[in-house]
Amino acid sequence: MPVVAAAVCPHPPLLVPEVASGAASELDDLRAACLAAVESLATAAHVVVIGAGSPRTYEAEAGGAFVAYGAPGVRVGSGPAVLPLSLAIGGWLLEQTKAAQLPRTYRAILADTAPDLCVQLGREIADSNDRVGLLVMGDGSARRSEHSPVHLHPRAEIFDTTVANALQHRDLDVLKALDPDLADELQAAGRAPWQVLAGALEGTSLSGDLTYEAAPYGVGYFVASFS
Amino acid sequence: MDRSVRPRTVGPVNTGDGVLRLGSRSFGPGEFALMAIVNRTPDSFFDRGATYATDAAFAAIDKAVAEGADLVDIGGVKAGYGEPVSESEELRRTVDFVAAIRARHPDLVISVDTYRSGVARQVAEAGADLINDTWAGADPDLVNAAAEAGTGLVCSHVGGLSPRTDPHRMAYDDVVADVIRTTTALADRALAAGVRPDGILIDPTHDFGKNTLQSLELTRRLDELAATGWPVLVAVSNKDFIGETLELPPGQRGNGTLAALSVSAWLGARVFRVHDVPAARQALDFIAVLRGTAQPAGTRRSLA
Repeated sequence: MPVVAAAVCPHPPLLVPEVASGAASELDDLRAACLAAVESLATAAHVVVIGAGSPRTYEAEAGGAFVAYGAPGVRVGSGPAVLPLSLAIGGWLLEQTKAAQLPRTYRAILADTAPDLCVQLGREIADSNDRVGLLVMGDGSARRSEHSPVHLHPRAEIFDTTVANALQHRDLDVLKALDPDLADELQAAGRAPWQVLAGALEGTSLSGDLTYEAAPYGVGYFVASFS
Repeated sequence: MDRSVRPRTVGPVNTGDGVLRLGSRSFGPGEFALMAIVNRTPDSFFDRGATYATDAAFAAIDKAVAEGADLVDIGGVKAGYGEPVSESEELRRTVDFVAAIRARHPDLVISVDTYRSGVARQVAEAGADLINDTWAGADPDLVNAAAEAGTGLVCSHVGGLSPRTDPHRMAYDDVVADVIRTTTALADRALAAGVRPDGILIDPTHDFGKNTLQSLELTRRLDELAATGWPVLVAVSNKDFIGETLELPPGQRGNGTLAALSVSAWLGARVFRVHDVPAARQALDFIAVLRGTAQPAGTRRSLA
Protein backbone atom coordinates (compact mmCIF):
# COMPACT_ATOMS: atom_id res chain seq x y z
CA MET A 1 0.00 0.00 0.00
CA PRO A 2 1.24 3.50 -0.73
CA VAL A 3 0.83 6.64 1.28
CA VAL A 4 -2.86 6.94 2.20
CA ALA A 5 -2.75 10.38 3.83
CA ALA A 6 -0.24 13.15 4.33
CA ALA A 7 -0.03 16.37 6.33
CA VAL A 8 2.35 19.33 6.11
CA CYS A 9 2.98 21.43 9.26
CA PRO A 10 5.54 24.06 10.35
CA HIS A 11 7.67 23.60 13.45
CA PRO A 12 8.32 26.89 15.28
CA PRO A 13 8.90 26.43 19.02
CA LEU A 14 6.14 29.04 19.47
CA LEU A 15 3.60 26.42 18.43
CA VAL A 16 3.95 24.97 21.94
CA PRO A 17 1.83 27.22 24.19
CA GLU A 18 4.19 26.89 27.15
CA VAL A 19 6.96 28.35 25.02
CA ALA A 20 4.83 31.25 23.80
CA SER A 21 3.51 31.89 27.36
CA GLY A 22 1.05 34.79 27.20
CA ALA A 23 1.41 35.05 23.41
CA ALA A 24 0.16 31.49 22.87
CA SER A 25 -3.27 32.57 21.70
CA GLU A 26 -1.74 34.43 18.76
CA LEU A 27 -1.08 31.07 17.09
CA ASP A 28 -4.37 29.43 18.04
CA ASP A 29 -5.45 29.29 14.40
CA LEU A 30 -2.16 27.75 13.24
CA ARG A 31 -2.25 25.20 16.07
CA ALA A 32 -5.83 24.25 15.21
CA ALA A 33 -4.97 23.90 11.52
CA CYS A 34 -1.99 21.65 12.34
CA LEU A 35 -4.03 19.44 14.64
CA ALA A 36 -6.81 19.08 12.06
CA ALA A 37 -4.28 18.09 9.39
CA VAL A 38 -2.54 15.60 11.70
CA GLU A 39 -5.89 14.16 12.80
CA SER A 40 -6.50 13.12 9.18
CA LEU A 41 -3.50 10.76 9.43
CA ALA A 42 -5.50 8.54 11.79
CA THR A 43 -6.83 6.60 8.78
CA ALA A 44 -3.34 5.17 8.20
CA ALA A 45 -1.80 2.10 9.85
CA HIS A 46 1.64 3.63 10.43
CA VAL A 47 2.79 7.22 10.70
CA VAL A 48 6.13 8.42 9.35
CA VAL A 49 7.29 11.85 10.51
CA ILE A 50 9.81 13.65 8.29
CA GLY A 51 11.76 16.73 9.31
CA ALA A 52 15.09 18.48 9.12
CA GLY A 53 17.89 17.31 11.41
CA SER A 54 20.95 15.07 11.56
CA PRO A 55 20.07 12.06 9.39
CA ARG A 56 18.65 9.34 11.59
CA THR A 57 15.63 7.17 12.12
CA TYR A 58 13.93 7.16 15.53
CA GLU A 59 11.40 4.72 16.91
CA ALA A 60 7.96 5.64 18.22
CA GLU A 61 9.00 6.06 21.84
CA ALA A 62 11.85 8.48 21.06
CA GLY A 63 11.71 11.51 23.31
CA GLY A 64 11.64 15.18 22.50
CA ALA A 65 11.77 18.20 24.78
CA PHE A 66 11.40 21.97 24.70
CA VAL A 67 13.56 22.81 27.69
CA ALA A 68 16.14 24.23 25.29
CA TYR A 69 13.58 26.82 24.23
CA GLY A 70 12.55 27.72 27.77
CA ALA A 71 9.70 25.29 28.47
CA PRO A 72 11.07 22.55 30.77
CA GLY A 73 7.63 21.13 31.48
CA VAL A 74 6.77 19.95 27.97
CA ARG A 75 8.06 16.79 26.36
CA VAL A 76 6.99 14.05 23.99
CA GLY A 77 7.69 10.33 23.87
CA SER A 78 9.11 8.33 26.72
CA GLY A 79 12.81 8.01 25.96
CA PRO A 80 15.64 10.49 26.41
CA ALA A 81 15.08 13.75 24.53
CA VAL A 82 16.84 13.04 21.24
CA LEU A 83 14.42 14.32 18.58
CA PRO A 84 15.43 17.45 16.66
CA LEU A 85 13.01 20.38 16.89
CA SER A 86 11.15 19.55 13.67
CA LEU A 87 10.39 15.97 14.77
CA ALA A 88 9.71 16.93 18.39
CA ILE A 89 7.00 19.33 17.20
CA GLY A 90 5.69 16.57 14.93
CA GLY A 91 5.50 14.16 17.86
CA TRP A 92 3.94 16.82 20.05
CA LEU A 93 1.18 17.35 17.45
CA LEU A 94 0.63 13.62 16.92
CA GLU A 95 0.22 12.97 20.63
CA GLN A 96 -2.76 15.31 20.70
CA THR A 97 -4.67 13.42 17.99
CA LYS A 98 -6.20 10.01 17.38
CA ALA A 99 -3.12 9.25 15.26
CA ALA A 100 -1.20 9.05 18.55
CA GLN A 101 -2.29 5.40 18.83
CA LEU A 102 -0.62 4.36 15.58
CA PRO A 103 2.84 2.85 15.21
CA ARG A 104 5.22 5.69 14.41
CA THR A 105 8.65 6.23 12.89
CA TYR A 106 10.61 9.47 12.83
CA ARG A 107 13.02 10.25 10.02
CA ALA A 108 15.39 13.22 10.10
CA ILE A 109 17.16 14.40 6.94
CA LEU A 110 19.72 17.13 6.47
CA ALA A 111 18.16 20.41 5.39
CA ASP A 112 20.61 20.55 2.47
CA THR A 113 19.91 17.05 1.14
CA ALA A 114 19.94 17.07 -2.68
CA PRO A 115 16.47 17.16 -4.26
CA ASP A 116 16.80 13.85 -6.08
CA LEU A 117 17.80 12.09 -2.86
CA CYS A 118 14.80 13.63 -1.12
CA VAL A 119 12.46 12.39 -3.84
CA GLN A 120 14.10 8.97 -3.68
CA LEU A 121 13.53 8.81 0.09
CA GLY A 122 9.87 9.68 -0.49
CA ARG A 123 9.51 6.81 -2.92
CA GLU A 124 11.11 4.41 -0.43
CA ILE A 125 8.71 5.47 2.30
CA ALA A 126 5.78 4.94 -0.06
CA ASP A 127 7.07 1.51 -1.01
CA SER A 128 5.70 -0.08 2.12
CA ASN A 129 3.29 -2.88 2.97
CA ASP A 130 1.65 -0.57 5.51
CA ARG A 131 -0.95 2.08 4.92
CA VAL A 132 1.40 4.98 5.55
CA GLY A 133 0.39 8.36 6.93
CA LEU A 134 3.12 10.92 6.25
CA LEU A 135 3.66 13.94 8.50
CA VAL A 136 5.97 16.41 6.79
CA MET A 137 7.47 19.10 9.02
CA GLY A 138 8.76 22.19 7.26
CA ASP A 139 8.90 25.97 7.54
CA GLY A 140 8.87 28.51 4.74
CA SER A 141 11.36 31.34 4.47
CA ALA A 142 12.56 32.99 7.67
CA ARG A 143 13.20 36.18 5.68
CA ARG A 144 9.67 37.23 4.87
CA SER A 145 9.54 40.69 6.46
CA GLU A 146 11.53 43.54 7.96
CA HIS A 147 10.79 41.98 11.35
CA SER A 148 11.79 38.46 10.37
CA PRO A 149 14.38 36.57 12.41
CA VAL A 150 16.68 36.99 9.39
CA HIS A 151 16.47 40.19 7.40
CA LEU A 152 13.94 40.56 4.59
CA HIS A 153 14.91 38.90 1.32
CA PRO A 154 13.15 40.23 -1.80
CA ARG A 155 12.58 36.71 -3.16
CA ALA A 156 11.20 35.21 0.06
CA GLU A 157 7.56 35.94 -0.54
CA ILE A 158 7.46 34.65 -4.10
CA PHE A 159 9.29 31.49 -3.02
CA ASP A 160 6.75 30.86 -0.28
CA THR A 161 3.85 31.61 -2.62
CA THR A 162 5.24 29.08 -5.08
CA VAL A 163 5.36 26.45 -2.33
CA ALA A 164 1.85 27.30 -1.13
CA ASN A 165 0.41 26.96 -4.62
CA ALA A 166 2.25 23.69 -5.20
CA LEU A 167 0.85 22.26 -1.94
CA GLN A 168 -2.67 23.47 -2.70
CA HIS A 169 -2.62 22.05 -6.25
CA ARG A 170 -0.46 19.01 -5.50
CA ASP A 171 2.04 20.16 -8.06
CA LEU A 172 4.77 17.59 -7.40
CA ASP A 173 6.96 18.86 -10.23
CA VAL A 174 7.14 22.32 -8.70
CA LEU A 175 8.03 20.88 -5.29
CA LYS A 176 10.75 18.69 -6.81
CA ALA A 177 12.16 21.68 -8.69
CA LEU A 178 12.60 23.92 -5.62
CA ASP A 179 16.17 25.21 -5.76
CA PRO A 180 18.18 24.06 -2.72
CA ASP A 181 20.60 26.99 -2.93
CA LEU A 182 17.80 29.54 -3.05
CA ALA A 183 15.98 27.75 -0.22
CA ASP A 184 19.18 27.89 1.82
CA GLU A 185 19.61 31.59 1.10
CA LEU A 186 16.00 32.22 2.07
CA GLN A 187 16.37 30.03 5.17
CA ALA A 188 13.39 27.90 4.19
CA ALA A 189 13.88 24.77 6.31
CA GLY A 190 11.03 22.91 4.66
CA ARG A 191 12.50 22.47 1.19
CA ALA A 192 13.99 18.99 1.70
CA PRO A 193 11.00 17.52 3.60
CA TRP A 194 8.60 18.90 0.97
CA GLN A 195 10.61 17.14 -1.73
CA VAL A 196 10.35 13.89 0.24
CA LEU A 197 6.59 14.50 0.18
CA ALA A 198 6.71 14.98 -3.59
CA GLY A 199 8.41 11.60 -4.03
CA ALA A 200 6.01 9.87 -1.65
CA LEU A 201 2.88 11.19 -3.38
CA GLU A 202 3.96 10.14 -6.89
CA GLY A 203 2.06 6.88 -6.96
CA THR A 204 -1.08 8.24 -5.28
CA SER A 205 -4.11 10.20 -6.34
CA LEU A 206 -4.28 12.16 -3.09
CA SER A 207 -5.27 15.78 -3.59
CA GLY A 208 -4.00 18.74 -1.63
CA ASP A 209 -5.79 21.19 0.61
CA LEU A 210 -3.82 24.18 1.89
CA THR A 211 -5.55 25.20 5.14
CA TYR A 212 -3.10 27.77 6.50
CA GLU A 213 -0.65 30.09 4.89
CA ALA A 214 0.76 33.09 6.76
CA ALA A 215 3.95 34.57 8.18
CA PRO A 216 2.72 36.15 11.44
CA TYR A 217 6.27 36.60 12.77
CA GLY A 218 8.06 36.89 9.46
CA VAL A 219 8.58 33.14 8.94
CA GLY A 220 6.39 31.39 6.37
CA TYR A 221 4.08 28.76 7.85
CA PHE A 222 2.01 26.34 5.75
CA VAL A 223 -0.46 23.68 6.75
CA ALA A 224 -1.72 21.27 4.12
CA SER A 225 -3.62 18.02 4.08
CA PHE A 226 -3.48 15.33 1.40
CA SER A 227 -6.35 12.88 1.28
CA MET B 1 -2.61 50.96 31.77
CA ASP B 2 -4.08 48.00 29.96
CA ARG B 3 -4.43 45.34 32.66
CA SER B 4 -5.18 42.61 30.10
CA VAL B 5 -1.56 42.39 28.97
CA ARG B 6 -0.05 42.15 32.44
CA PRO B 7 1.84 38.96 33.24
CA ARG B 8 -0.60 36.38 34.44
CA THR B 9 -0.38 34.64 37.78
CA VAL B 10 0.16 30.93 37.31
CA GLY B 11 -2.37 28.57 38.82
CA PRO B 12 -4.74 29.04 41.74
CA VAL B 13 -3.20 31.07 44.51
CA ASN B 14 -6.15 31.77 46.77
CA THR B 15 -6.24 28.38 48.40
CA GLY B 16 -4.27 26.83 51.18
CA ASP B 17 -2.18 28.40 53.90
CA GLY B 18 -0.53 31.78 53.78
CA VAL B 19 -3.36 33.54 51.99
CA LEU B 20 -3.82 37.17 53.01
CA ARG B 21 -7.48 38.16 53.07
CA LEU B 22 -8.41 41.82 53.14
CA GLY B 23 -11.91 43.03 52.39
CA SER B 24 -13.22 41.10 49.41
CA ARG B 25 -9.72 40.33 48.14
CA SER B 26 -7.40 37.36 48.71
CA PHE B 27 -3.68 37.48 48.03
CA GLY B 28 -1.95 34.12 47.86
CA PRO B 29 1.70 33.45 48.57
CA GLY B 30 3.73 34.73 45.64
CA GLU B 31 1.10 37.29 44.70
CA PHE B 32 2.11 40.91 45.21
CA ALA B 33 -0.42 43.42 46.51
CA LEU B 34 0.08 47.08 45.74
CA MET B 35 -1.04 49.73 48.21
CA ALA B 36 -1.35 53.29 46.93
CA ILE B 37 -0.75 56.10 49.37
CA VAL B 38 -3.45 58.75 49.57
CA ASN B 39 -2.80 61.41 52.16
CA ARG B 40 -5.54 63.49 53.69
CA THR B 41 -2.96 65.64 55.35
CA PRO B 42 -1.94 69.15 54.39
CA ASP B 43 1.71 68.48 55.21
CA SER B 44 2.85 65.06 53.90
CA PHE B 45 6.61 64.91 53.46
CA PHE B 46 6.34 63.71 49.90
CA ASP B 47 3.33 65.28 48.19
CA ARG B 48 2.95 68.32 50.47
CA GLY B 49 -0.78 67.89 50.71
CA ALA B 50 -1.52 67.31 47.03
CA THR B 51 -4.45 65.05 47.91
CA TYR B 52 -5.66 66.93 51.00
CA ALA B 53 -8.74 68.28 49.20
CA THR B 54 -11.52 65.74 48.80
CA ASP B 55 -11.89 65.98 45.03
CA ALA B 56 -8.17 65.65 44.50
CA ALA B 57 -8.11 62.63 46.81
CA PHE B 58 -10.98 60.94 44.95
CA ALA B 59 -9.27 61.58 41.64
CA ALA B 60 -6.01 60.18 43.02
CA ILE B 61 -7.79 57.01 44.14
CA ASP B 62 -9.61 56.52 40.86
CA LYS B 63 -6.29 56.90 39.05
CA ALA B 64 -4.45 54.53 41.39
CA VAL B 65 -7.10 51.85 40.91
CA ALA B 66 -6.97 52.25 37.15
CA GLU B 67 -3.19 51.93 37.29
CA GLY B 68 -3.22 48.67 39.21
CA ALA B 69 -3.48 49.44 42.93
CA ASP B 70 -5.08 46.67 45.01
CA LEU B 71 -5.26 48.73 48.21
CA VAL B 72 -5.29 52.39 49.16
CA ASP B 73 -3.82 53.62 52.41
CA ILE B 74 -5.57 56.69 53.77
CA GLY B 75 -3.69 58.83 56.23
CA GLY B 76 -5.19 61.68 58.20
CA VAL B 77 -2.09 62.51 60.21
CA LYS B 78 1.40 63.17 58.92
CA ALA B 79 3.69 60.42 60.15
CA GLY B 80 6.55 62.58 61.28
CA TYR B 81 6.74 65.57 63.55
CA GLY B 82 4.19 68.25 62.73
CA GLU B 83 1.14 70.23 63.74
CA PRO B 84 -0.90 68.41 66.37
CA VAL B 85 -3.95 66.69 64.89
CA SER B 86 -6.71 65.99 67.39
CA GLU B 87 -8.70 62.76 67.23
CA SER B 88 -11.78 64.71 66.17
CA GLU B 89 -9.81 66.36 63.36
CA GLU B 90 -8.43 62.98 62.25
CA LEU B 91 -11.95 61.56 62.26
CA ARG B 92 -13.15 64.54 60.26
CA ARG B 93 -10.46 63.90 57.66
CA THR B 94 -11.00 60.16 57.33
CA VAL B 95 -14.41 58.68 58.25
CA ASP B 96 -16.67 60.22 55.62
CA PHE B 97 -13.88 59.92 53.11
CA VAL B 98 -13.57 56.17 53.72
CA ALA B 99 -17.33 55.75 53.37
CA ALA B 100 -17.27 57.64 50.09
CA ILE B 101 -14.39 55.51 48.73
CA ARG B 102 -16.24 52.37 49.73
CA ALA B 103 -19.26 53.57 47.76
CA ARG B 104 -17.14 54.42 44.71
CA HIS B 105 -14.95 51.27 44.75
CA PRO B 106 -16.78 48.30 46.30
CA ASP B 107 -13.87 45.85 45.87
CA LEU B 108 -10.97 48.13 46.68
CA VAL B 109 -9.15 47.23 49.89
CA ILE B 110 -9.19 50.34 52.08
CA SER B 111 -6.43 50.73 54.63
CA VAL B 112 -6.35 53.55 57.14
CA ASP B 113 -3.07 54.71 58.57
CA THR B 114 -3.89 55.48 62.20
CA TYR B 115 -2.56 54.71 65.65
CA ARG B 116 -5.80 55.64 67.48
CA SER B 117 -8.32 52.97 68.43
CA GLY B 118 -11.15 55.50 68.32
CA VAL B 119 -10.36 56.31 64.71
CA ALA B 120 -9.92 52.64 63.84
CA ARG B 121 -13.39 51.77 65.14
CA GLN B 122 -15.12 54.48 63.18
CA VAL B 123 -13.28 54.02 59.88
CA ALA B 124 -13.89 50.28 60.08
CA GLU B 125 -17.58 50.97 60.41
CA ALA B 126 -17.31 53.29 57.41
CA GLY B 127 -15.82 50.48 55.32
CA ALA B 128 -12.09 50.23 56.05
CA ASP B 129 -10.60 46.72 55.69
CA LEU B 130 -7.17 47.20 57.20
CA ILE B 131 -5.76 49.26 60.06
CA ASN B 132 -2.19 50.32 59.31
CA ASP B 133 -0.80 50.96 62.79
CA THR B 134 2.46 52.62 61.90
CA TRP B 135 3.20 53.36 65.54
CA ALA B 136 3.53 49.77 66.70
CA GLY B 137 0.68 49.48 69.16
CA ALA B 138 1.19 52.83 70.87
CA ASP B 139 -2.53 52.70 71.63
CA PRO B 140 -3.00 49.30 73.34
CA ASP B 141 -6.71 49.28 72.52
CA LEU B 142 -6.07 49.33 68.75
CA VAL B 143 -5.84 45.53 68.47
CA ASN B 144 -9.24 45.24 70.14
CA ALA B 145 -10.70 47.67 67.63
CA ALA B 146 -9.35 45.58 64.74
CA ALA B 147 -10.55 42.35 66.35
CA GLU B 148 -14.06 43.68 67.00
CA ALA B 149 -14.41 45.17 63.52
CA GLY B 150 -12.92 42.15 61.73
CA THR B 151 -10.34 44.25 59.90
CA GLY B 152 -6.76 43.28 59.19
CA LEU B 153 -3.92 44.87 61.12
CA VAL B 154 -0.39 45.99 60.23
CA CYS B 155 2.11 45.37 63.04
CA SER B 156 5.03 47.72 62.74
CA HIS B 157 8.37 48.47 64.37
CA VAL B 158 9.39 51.91 65.55
CA GLY B 159 12.10 51.05 68.03
CA GLY B 160 10.08 52.24 70.99
CA LEU B 161 9.39 55.71 69.64
CA SER B 162 6.28 57.61 70.63
CA PRO B 163 3.96 58.56 67.77
CA ARG B 164 5.12 61.42 65.57
CA THR B 165 8.63 61.70 66.95
CA ASP B 166 11.80 61.31 64.96
CA PRO B 167 14.55 58.86 65.80
CA HIS B 168 17.72 60.06 67.41
CA ARG B 169 20.78 57.86 67.80
CA MET B 170 18.75 54.68 67.67
CA ALA B 171 20.95 51.70 68.50
CA TYR B 172 20.31 47.98 67.98
CA ASP B 173 22.58 45.01 68.56
CA ASP B 174 20.84 43.51 65.53
CA VAL B 175 18.14 45.63 63.95
CA VAL B 176 16.63 42.72 62.02
CA ALA B 177 16.34 40.60 65.15
CA ASP B 178 14.76 43.52 66.98
CA VAL B 179 12.24 44.06 64.18
CA ILE B 180 11.36 40.38 64.05
CA ARG B 181 10.99 40.19 67.85
CA THR B 182 8.81 43.30 68.03
CA THR B 183 6.57 42.76 65.03
CA THR B 184 5.94 39.08 65.66
CA ALA B 185 5.14 39.82 69.33
CA LEU B 186 2.62 42.41 68.14
CA ALA B 187 1.22 39.91 65.65
CA ASP B 188 0.87 37.28 68.38
CA ARG B 189 -0.79 39.81 70.63
CA ALA B 190 -3.20 40.75 67.81
CA LEU B 191 -3.98 37.08 67.27
CA ALA B 192 -4.64 36.60 70.99
CA ALA B 193 -6.91 39.66 70.96
CA GLY B 194 -8.97 38.04 68.22
CA VAL B 195 -7.71 39.74 65.05
CA ARG B 196 -8.21 37.48 62.01
CA PRO B 197 -5.02 35.44 61.47
CA ASP B 198 -5.31 35.86 57.68
CA GLY B 199 -5.45 39.65 58.05
CA ILE B 200 -2.29 40.28 60.08
CA LEU B 201 0.80 41.76 58.42
CA ILE B 202 4.19 42.77 59.75
CA ASP B 203 6.02 45.89 58.59
CA PRO B 204 9.69 46.59 59.36
CA THR B 205 8.78 50.26 58.97
CA HIS B 206 11.90 51.63 57.28
CA ASP B 207 13.12 54.99 58.63
CA PHE B 208 10.86 54.87 61.70
CA GLY B 209 13.16 54.55 64.69
CA LYS B 210 16.05 53.72 62.36
CA ASN B 211 18.96 55.40 60.74
CA THR B 212 19.72 54.83 57.08
CA LEU B 213 22.22 52.05 57.67
CA GLN B 214 19.65 50.20 59.75
CA SER B 215 16.95 50.57 57.07
CA LEU B 216 19.40 49.32 54.46
CA GLU B 217 20.18 46.31 56.63
CA LEU B 218 16.46 45.55 56.91
CA THR B 219 16.10 45.72 53.14
CA ARG B 220 19.13 43.51 52.59
CA ARG B 221 17.85 40.89 55.03
CA LEU B 222 14.15 41.06 54.30
CA ASP B 223 14.06 37.32 53.68
CA GLU B 224 14.52 36.83 57.43
CA LEU B 225 11.29 38.73 58.05
CA ALA B 226 9.48 36.77 55.35
CA ALA B 227 10.68 33.55 56.99
CA THR B 228 8.54 34.34 60.05
CA GLY B 229 5.54 33.28 57.98
CA TRP B 230 3.68 36.54 58.52
CA PRO B 231 2.98 38.46 55.30
CA VAL B 232 5.45 41.35 55.12
CA LEU B 233 4.41 44.86 54.11
CA VAL B 234 7.16 47.23 53.03
CA ALA B 235 6.82 50.98 52.81
CA VAL B 236 10.05 52.23 51.30
CA SER B 237 8.60 54.71 48.85
CA ASN B 238 10.69 57.90 48.66
CA LYS B 239 11.90 57.51 52.22
CA ASP B 240 14.93 59.23 53.72
CA PHE B 241 17.09 56.10 53.77
CA ILE B 242 16.85 56.09 49.97
CA GLY B 243 17.49 59.83 49.85
CA GLU B 244 20.54 59.61 52.08
CA THR B 245 21.88 56.60 50.24
CA LEU B 246 21.72 58.38 46.88
CA GLU B 247 21.94 61.95 48.19
CA LEU B 248 18.66 62.90 46.55
CA PRO B 249 15.72 65.00 47.74
CA PRO B 250 12.18 63.54 48.03
CA GLY B 251 11.20 64.39 44.45
CA GLN B 252 14.08 62.41 42.97
CA ARG B 253 13.91 59.12 44.85
CA GLY B 254 11.71 57.20 42.42
CA ASN B 255 14.45 55.05 40.91
CA GLY B 256 15.95 54.24 44.28
CA THR B 257 12.45 53.38 45.50
CA LEU B 258 12.05 50.86 42.70
CA ALA B 259 15.39 49.28 43.51
CA ALA B 260 14.51 48.89 47.19
CA LEU B 261 11.02 47.68 46.35
CA SER B 262 12.33 45.14 43.84
CA VAL B 263 14.85 43.66 46.24
CA SER B 264 12.15 43.48 48.92
CA ALA B 265 9.81 41.68 46.53
CA TRP B 266 12.54 39.27 45.49
CA LEU B 267 13.25 38.50 49.15
CA GLY B 268 9.61 37.77 49.93
CA ALA B 269 7.68 40.94 50.78
CA ARG B 270 4.02 40.71 49.74
CA VAL B 271 2.40 44.12 50.18
CA PHE B 272 4.01 47.32 48.89
CA ARG B 273 3.00 50.81 50.00
CA VAL B 274 3.91 53.26 47.23
CA HIS B 275 3.35 56.70 45.78
CA ASP B 276 4.04 55.82 42.12
CA VAL B 277 1.59 53.04 41.31
CA PRO B 278 2.36 52.36 37.61
CA ALA B 279 6.11 52.14 38.22
CA ALA B 280 5.71 49.80 41.17
CA ARG B 281 3.13 47.68 39.33
CA GLN B 282 5.54 47.17 36.42
CA ALA B 283 8.41 46.28 38.70
CA LEU B 284 6.28 43.84 40.72
CA ASP B 285 4.79 42.25 37.61
CA PHE B 286 8.30 41.72 36.31
CA ILE B 287 9.55 40.23 39.56
CA ALA B 288 6.55 37.90 39.76
CA VAL B 289 7.65 36.47 36.42
CA LEU B 290 11.28 36.23 37.55
CA ARG B 291 10.14 34.36 40.65
CA GLY B 292 8.05 32.03 38.53
CA THR B 293 4.69 32.89 40.08
CA ALA B 294 3.48 34.54 36.87
CA GLN B 295 4.22 33.98 33.21
CA PRO B 296 5.39 36.59 30.70
CA ALA B 297 2.70 38.50 28.85
CA GLY B 298 4.10 36.92 25.68
CA THR B 299 7.37 35.38 24.49
CA ARG B 300 8.01 35.52 20.76
CA ARG B 301 11.58 36.69 20.41
CA SER B 302 13.73 34.15 18.55
CA LEU B 303 10.97 31.53 18.71
CA ALA B 304 9.24 31.94 15.35
